[in-house]
Amino acid sequence: MKKRAWYFAVLALAVLMIGSLFAGCQPAEKEAEDYTIIVGLSQTIMTLDPANHRDRVTETVIRNIYDGLVTRKPDGTVVPEIAESWTNPDPLTWEFKIRSGIKFHNGSDLTVEDVKFTFDRVIQEGAMEGETSPRKGLMGPVTEVEIVGDDTIRFVLKKPWPILLAMLPHQQIVSKAYVEEVGSDIATKPMGCGPFKFVEGSIDERIVLERFDDYYGGSPEIPPVGPAPAKRVIFEFMPEVSTRIAALQGGDVHIIHNIPPDMVSTLEADPNVIVKTVEGTRMHMFEMNVTKPPFDDVRVRQAVNYAIDMDAIVKNVLSGYGTVVAGPLLPHGFARDPDLKPYGYDPAKAKKLLEEAGYADGFELVIDTTDELKDVVYAAASMLADVGIEATVRTWDWGVLKEQLLAGERMMCFGNWGNSTLDPSDLLVPKLRSNDRGNYSHYSNPELDALLDAAEVETDREVRKTLYYQAQAIIYEDAPWVFSYVGREIEACRSNVENWQPSTDSRINLHRVKLK
Amino acid sequence: MSQVQVSTDKTVLREYYLLRLRLAGINFLQFINKLRRHPAGMTGLIVLLFFVFIAVADPLIVPHNPKEVHLEDKLLPPAWMEGGKSEYLLGTDQLGMDLFSRIIAGTRISLLIGVLTVGISIMIGTTLGMLSGYYRGTLDNILARFADLLLSFPWLIFAIFTMAVIGPGFGNLVFALTFKGWVGFFRLVRGEVLSEKTKEYVEAARALGQSHFKIMFQEILPNIMNSIIVLGTLRIGFMIIMEASLSFLGLGIQYPEPAWGSMVNVGRNYLLNAWWISTFSGLAILLLVLAINMFGEGLRDILDPRLRRIE
Amino acid sequence: MQAAKIAERILIAIPVVIGIGIIIFLIMRLTPGDPVDIMMGQAGHVSAREIELLTEQWHLNEPLHIQLGYFLRDLARGDLGTSFTKGRPVWDLIKGALPATLELALGAAIFALLLAIPIGVISAVKQNSFIDRASMTVAFFGICMPVFYLGIILMLVFSVKMGVLPTYGRISYEVMLHKVTGFYMLDSIITGNWAALGSTLKHLILPSITLGFPMAAIVARVMRSSMLEVLRNDYVVMARAKGLREFSVIVKHAMRNAMIPTVTVIGLEIGMLLGGNMIVETVFSWPGLGRLVVNSIFVRDYPLVQGVVMVYAFTFVAANLVVDILYTYINPKISI
Repeated sequence: MKKRAWYFAVLALAVLMIGSLFAGCQPAEKEAEDYTIIVGLSQTIMTLDPANHRDRVTETVIRNIYDGLVTRKPDGTVVPEIAESWTNPDPLTWEFKIRSGIKFHNGSDLTVEDVKFTFDRVIQEGAMEGETSPRKGLMGPVTEVEIVGDDTIRFVLKKPWPILLAMLPHQQIVSKAYVEEVGSDIATKPMGCGPFKFVEGSIDERIVLERFDDYYGGSPEIPPVGPAPAKRVIFEFMPEVSTRIAALQGGDVHIIHNIPPDMVSTLEADPNVIVKTVEGTRMHMFEMNVTKPPFDDVRVRQAVNYAIDMDAIVKNVLSGYGTVVAGPLLPHGFARDPDLKPYGYDPAKAKKLLEEAGYADGFELVIDTTDELKDVVYAAASMLADVGIEATVRTWDWGVLKEQLLAGERMMCFGNWGNSTLDPSDLLVPKLRSNDRGNYSHYSNPELDALLDAAEVETDREVRKTLYYQAQAIIYEDAPWVFSYVGREIEACRSNVENWQPSTDSRINLHRVKLK
Repeated sequence: MSQVQVSTDKTVLREYYLLRLRLAGINFLQFINKLRRHPAGMTGLIVLLFFVFIAVADPLIVPHNPKEVHLEDKLLPPAWMEGGKSEYLLGTDQLGMDLFSRIIAGTRISLLIGVLTVGISIMIGTTLGMLSGYYRGTLDNILARFADLLLSFPWLIFAIFTMAVIGPGFGNLVFALTFKGWVGFFRLVRGEVLSEKTKEYVEAARALGQSHFKIMFQEILPNIMNSIIVLGTLRIGFMIIMEASLSFLGLGIQYPEPAWGSMVNVGRNYLLNAWWISTFSGLAILLLVLAINMFGEGLRDILDPRLRRIE
Repeated sequence: MQAAKIAERILIAIPVVIGIGIIIFLIMRLTPGDPVDIMMGQAGHVSAREIELLTEQWHLNEPLHIQLGYFLRDLARGDLGTSFTKGRPVWDLIKGALPATLELALGAAIFALLLAIPIGVISAVKQNSFIDRASMTVAFFGICMPVFYLGIILMLVFSVKMGVLPTYGRISYEVMLHKVTGFYMLDSIITGNWAALGSTLKHLILPSITLGFPMAAIVARVMRSSMLEVLRNDYVVMARAKGLREFSVIVKHAMRNAMIPTVTVIGLEIGMLLGGNMIVETVFSWPGLGRLVVNSIFVRDYPLVQGVVMVYAFTFVAANLVVDILYTYINPKISI
C-alpha cells in the first residue's frame, strides 16, 4: 500500500515537472493569412441549434456558422443575405427569391426545401422531435411557408405584420437532410451555410470554428463579399469582467464585449486596444405600480420623473455611455416623436407636484431591481431623498421578483427591455398594453390599447408612425415609467483588428474581420 | 407544613446557585489566567474584543454614512495613493461609498451573523443531540439519518431557496446557515451524551428518582458544556466565512448593505482599476476569522484538550 | 472489509441519493420563478401559445404530484430528463462537466497532499523549530481564508498584474487536444500531446491552489499532531534505539501509523472539495458541475439542477465509502 502511494506521488511529481517544461513553450508564429481571431464572450451559451434558444449571445455564435434569409448592417438596416430579393404583393404574403449556388458546409446545395424546413421547424407545433421551438413567437403571425418555385418561398401570414423583415435576421437556415439525419444532435454538431464551419468545442468551454472556403460570400450589400479572411475563429467564455479585459490587454483575445463603462478609461489608456461603442437597444426604465398609492396619482409619477437627474446618472454612473430618452421609445428607433423632450431635472417642480398630490412630506418607497442594475438605482434613490422620498433599494433574483411584479405587489422597479428590432411594437405592446407579459407597471388604458392594436396590423408606414406618435404622447403624459436611458454597447478590440464594428443589436459577426 | 418545606427548598436552591456562581467566577479567573499563558489565544481575544468594540461603536466612529453615494468621488484609491483623498482612508467603490466606513459597518453584520447562527445551531443541535443520545431508539435513528442526509446535501441550494421564498436579507441568511449548522452540534452532543450516560453521577441521579429532563439538562449538560462552547467558538469563524461566500455569490446580504462578502463580490468587476475594494474587504474577513479561531483554539486547549483530535 | 458490507453500503446510498433528488425536486418547484418566462427573457415577441406549449412540454401545467411521478418514472429508467435551457439530456451535460470537476478536485487534492504531508511530518519532527512555526502559521491562515478571497487575490496577482497564469478555462486553444476521456491530463498523456499537458497543468495551477489550500492546511495540522503522538510511542523509541536511520524510522514506522487519522480527514475533505467547487469554478470560469448548477438555478432549469445535485450527493457518499474502505485497509483492526 505504502509503496504504491509513493509510486503515485513520484509519478505525479514527474508529470508535473515534465508538464511545466512544456508549459513555457509558445506556438510558432503563424503566417499572415493563417490567423485566428479570438472573441471573449461574457457568458456561456445555451446550444448550437438555431431553433432552440432565446439568448442573444448564443445567437452571436450561431450567426457565424449559419446565415439567415436576410441580415442587418451594423447600423440596423435589413439587407438580403441568402434571399436575393423579396416582394410583398399583399399585406398577408411575402415572397423571397433564394440566391443560387449556396453550399452547406457538407457540400450539399441549399434549396428552397431547406428554407421551408427551417421555418416549419420553428413555427409548427412539435416540429423539433416532438417539441416546439421557443423561437416560434419571433415569427409572429406567420402561419405557413410554401414553396412557390425552384427558387422562391412564400410566407403566409394570419394578419398583417409590418415588422416581418426586421424579425427575419433572427432565424438561421439549416439543412433539411442533415437535421433529419442527426436529429437533436444538431445542438452539438451544427452545420450551416455561414462563413465558418464548426470544428470542435462545447457550449460550456469554447467554440472553435474554421473558415468555410466554399462560402458564397454573404450579403452583397455589406462589402467585401467572399470567404472570410480569418482562418479560424474561437469564442471563449469569460464571465469575469476583469478576466476579459486582462485577456484583451494581454493579447490573448482580439475582441471582447459587455464592458462596464467604468472600465473604459483603463482600456483607452492602452495603445494596443481600441474601444468602440454603438447605440444599444435595451430600454431602461423605472416602472411604477399605477394601481397602488402613491403612484396611482399621475402627479406623483411626473414628480418622480422630474426628481431624478437622469443626465447626472448617465454622466456619473454610466460614464457618459448612454442616451437619456424622451418618452418610451428608443432615440434611434422607428416612429420616435422628435418633438418630445426629456422631462429634465427640476426638483422644485417635483416638490410642487408632490405637494399638490398631498405628499408634501414625501413618502417611503422601496425600489426593486436586479444585481447588475443596482448602481443606477442607488444613485436615483439618493436623488429622491432630496425631494423627501425615502427610497430604499432591494435587489432580487429575477425569477422571484418577476412573479411579485406581475402580482402587483411591488411599488417601483428598475429594469430593462430588449428592443433589437428598433420597432415600437415589441417594446410598447408587452410593456404597456393592458395585462401583457411584461407590464410591471400595471398600466391599463383602453385608448392606448386601441392605438397599439391598430399599429400592429397597419402596413402603411406613415399611418403607423402617426399611431405611435399618439401612443407616445399618452404614455409621456401619463408617465407610468420614469423614462430613463438607453445604454451604449461598449466593446473593444486589439488595435490590429480591422473591419469590425460593434452592431446595434450587440451581435458579433466575424465574417469580414481581418487582422493586420 | 408544606409551606415551610418549600421555603427551605428555595433557600437550599439559592445557596446552591450562589455556590455555582462563585465556582463559575473562580473558573473564569482561572481561565483568564490560563489564557494569559496562551499567547495565540490571548492575541485572538484582544483582536476579537477590538472587533466587538468596533461593531458596537460603529455609528460613532464611521467617518461617512456607509451607504452614502458620492458619485463625484467614485473609485478613488486609498488615501496614501496618488489621487486618493484623505477623507476616504481606504478609497471608495463604484458609487463613491467610503470603503473604510463600510468595512467598519460590516463588522456588526459579520459578528451578528456568526453569533446568531451559531447560537441557534447550538440550541437546536444540543436539544436534539441530547434527546437522541439519551433516549436512543427510533428517534435517534431518524435524527441520525436526517443528519447524514443533510451532510450530503449542498447547502447552497438551501440558501437560494430560502432567499427566494423569504426574500433577500438577514433573516433568511441566518435560517439558511443554521439549516445545516446544527448538525455539527447534534453529532458532538449525541456522542458526548452516549459516553456520559454510563457515568456514575448519572446513575446516581437516576437512582434518586430525578426526572429525565433534569438529568439531561441539569446533570449532563453542565458536564459537556465546555465541548459545546469550544466547538461553538470555532464554528463562528466558519459561519462568517459561509455568510461571506453566499454574499459573494450574490445570494446573501445584498449590496449596498455593507456585508464584507458582497463587497468582495462587487470589487470583482473592478480588480483592474480598483483592486482595493475586494482586497480590503476580504482582508477584514480574514482578520476577524483569524482572531476568532485563535481565540477558539486557545479555549479548546484550556477547556477541552480532547477536542484537539477533532479538527 | 467484506464485499457484502460494501454492497450494503452502496445499497443504502441509493435511497439517500433519490431522497435528495425528491427534496430538490420539491424545493425547485416551490421556489418562485417561471422557467418558461425566464427563458424568454426581457424582450418582446413571445406569443401566449408558445408559452402554453413550452409549459405543457415541460409538464409545468400539471399538479406537483403528477410531475413528481414523471420524475420518478424517468429516474427508474435511468433518465434524468432534458435540460430546459440547453435542450439536451441532463446526463449528457453532466457527463460533459463531470471530468472538469473531478480533474480540478484531483488537482486540488494532489496539491494539498504533496504539500501538506511532508510539511506535517517535518513540522512534527522538528517541533517548535522555525519551519514548524512558519508552516503552522500559514496553515492557520489556510483555515481562516475564505476560498473566494484567495481565488481573487491569486487572480489579481498572477494573472491581472503579472500575466503569467491563465484565469479561465482548462486548456489553451492553441494546443488542439483530441478528447478521449474528458480528463485533459489523461487525454494528453494518452495521445502523447505534451504541449497540451503543459497547458492543462498551467490552467490547473490557480484553481487547484485555491481549492486545495484549505485542505492542505487542515491535513498538515492533523498530520503534524498525529505524528507528534506517534513519535512518542515505544516502538519508535525502540526503532531508534536499534540504530535505524532517522529517515527510515520516520517514514517506515511513524508515518504509516500517523496516516490513519489523516486518512479520515482527507476523506472528509475530499467530500468538501466536491461541494466547495461551486465558488472556485465560478471565480475561474471552470466548465464543471459547480458552475453548471449555479447558472441553472438562476434560470430555474429544474431537471439540470436535480441531476447535478444528485450527482453531488452520490459523489459525496461514494467518497465517504472509499475512505472507509481505505481505512480498514490501513488498519485492519477496524471494521465499519
